[in-house]
Amino acid sequence: MSKALGLGLGIIAAIGGFVDIGDLVFNVAAGATFGYQLLWVIVIGLIGIIVYSEMCGRVAAVSGRAVFDAIRERVGFKGAVVALVSSEVVNLMTLAAELGGVAIALQLLSGLPYRWLIVFAVVAFAVVIWVTTFEWIERIFGFGGLCMLVFAVVAVKLGPDWGQVGAGFVPHIAHTNSLLYAYFVVGILGTAMTPYEVYFYSSGGIEDQWSPKDLGLNRANAILGYGLGGTLSFALMITGGALFLSHGISPQHLGTVALAAEQPLGQVGLLLALVGILFAVGAASIDTVFAGAYNLAQFCGWEWGRYRNPRGAPRFALTWLVLLLLALGILMTGVDPVALTEYAVLFSVVALPLTYVPILLVANDKAYMGRYVNGRFANALGLIYLVVIMIVALAAIPLMILTNVGQN
Amino acid sequence: MSGKEIDIGLHVLDHQLLDKDGRRCGNVDDLAIEGGVGEVPEVVAILCGPGYWGQRAGLVGRLAGWIGGGRKVRVPWSEVCKVDSAVELKRGATELGLGRGDDRVRPYMDKIPGAGR
Repeated sequence: MSKALGLGLGIIAAIGGFVDIGDLVFNVAAGATFGYQLLWVIVIGLIGIIVYSEMCGRVAAVSGRAVFDAIRERVGFKGAVVALVSSEVVNLMTLAAELGGVAIALQLLSGLPYRWLIVFAVVAFAVVIWVTTFEWIERIFGFGGLCMLVFAVVAVKLGPDWGQVGAGFVPHIAHTNSLLYAYFVVGILGTAMTPYEVYFYSSGGIEDQWSPKDLGLNRANAILGYGLGGTLSFALMITGGALFLSHGISPQHLGTVALAAEQPLGQVGLLLALVGILFAVGAASIDTVFAGAYNLAQFCGWEWGRYRNPRGAPRFALTWLVLLLLALGILMTGVDPVALTEYAVLFSVVALPLTYVPILLVANDKAYMGRYVNGRFANALGLIYLVVIMIVALAAIPLMILTNVGQN
Repeated sequence: MSGKEIDIGLHVLDHQLLDKDGRRCGNVDDLAIEGGVGEVPEVVAILCGPGYWGQRAGLVGRLAGWIGGGRKVRVPWSEVCKVDSAVELKRGATELGLGRGDDRVRPYMDKIPGAGR
């Protein structure tokens, strides 16, 4: 495969990997509540995910070791057990939320009953993962997710006040309703820097058999892929601000988000939005189910990866099958995927430090990384983000309780 | 194993085990170290399997080890050929009694069509 093609596909996959149900929910809701005021938070989250993805991608390319290997080696066995249990719980919640999102998108497209579509979605994903190679999974969902770009067109067509949009990129504190504002800051950072993204990104690098000569590719994927994904988040928030804030609507349903595309673009817009949501959230379902299986396999030292077939990595295959079934069970209780998303994002924020600290430590280990250890720039940014992550992790649960999960 | 110095706490313990074919076959769950008072302590074996988790993390480790099946495998240090970001072994996983869990689940996965793709 030519270098340029590989680069393009990687970037497309990263765009799809960035935008998930959490981004849809938090960014649109933040726009509907605070207009464009929180755009700066997306920028902060975006730089954070780029810095840490680049770092863990580099570790994977140089040492062949993924994030959960690093966690076990660096925070000790006990810490790793805590990290494993918390990451598996959060991953499973996120997986259920994403699959619920897929079922909602399918329901809006087909009009069939929601519960049947959940079962259909789970079976379809199991079959797709079982028969398709990792490369093709990335491509199918990456390209499908590109339909989400319709939201960039929507954001422009809605004709927002660009002066206010610009002002939203300057960090500031809200004068009214500051608790809810803080809740959204934590949520937007949490959804931009969700741990499953780095689990998937680093293991994905090993799936794609990266070596030190792929470090340029790693950097481009992280910067351009997540950068473009972030642009979509801007578009979602601007859409929320331009359409819902002025009409006093607070979108409680994924369908409302898709309807935003119908306003300026008609049926075609709605269709593109729904297909885009279907594939973006579908990609996130696969990322989370793989992240769950990667983590358990790496903690236990099992063979893993979709580049090995199920015969080559049997317990890994069994794990993702079981995770899909558990998520199906959760959704069958009738829990609302949007509400589940909010809890998943907030709990994942609490687990952030256990994921990000070991990455920073390993990326600085000469015995591991040789001449590819972190430079001063990566370390400075890495340390700044550790502080941000710690503050956000400490604030998440109190804010969740004080704002009644963003309801007041 | 000789030559460069390694920190066994940092660069051996909890690392991935790879057999001679590069198959992932467990982690270094603990190390057996021998040597009495006044002697130079020596690592004699790698201890691998959920059965050793209890001695790493008390109650939580014992619980996790019980869920994991409690298997214990002792690999003599003489079987180690290289310590890199992973610990590489001289022989195949099956010969050393490693990777048994994957071997046990494989026949079930094989019953589903397309498992070899």
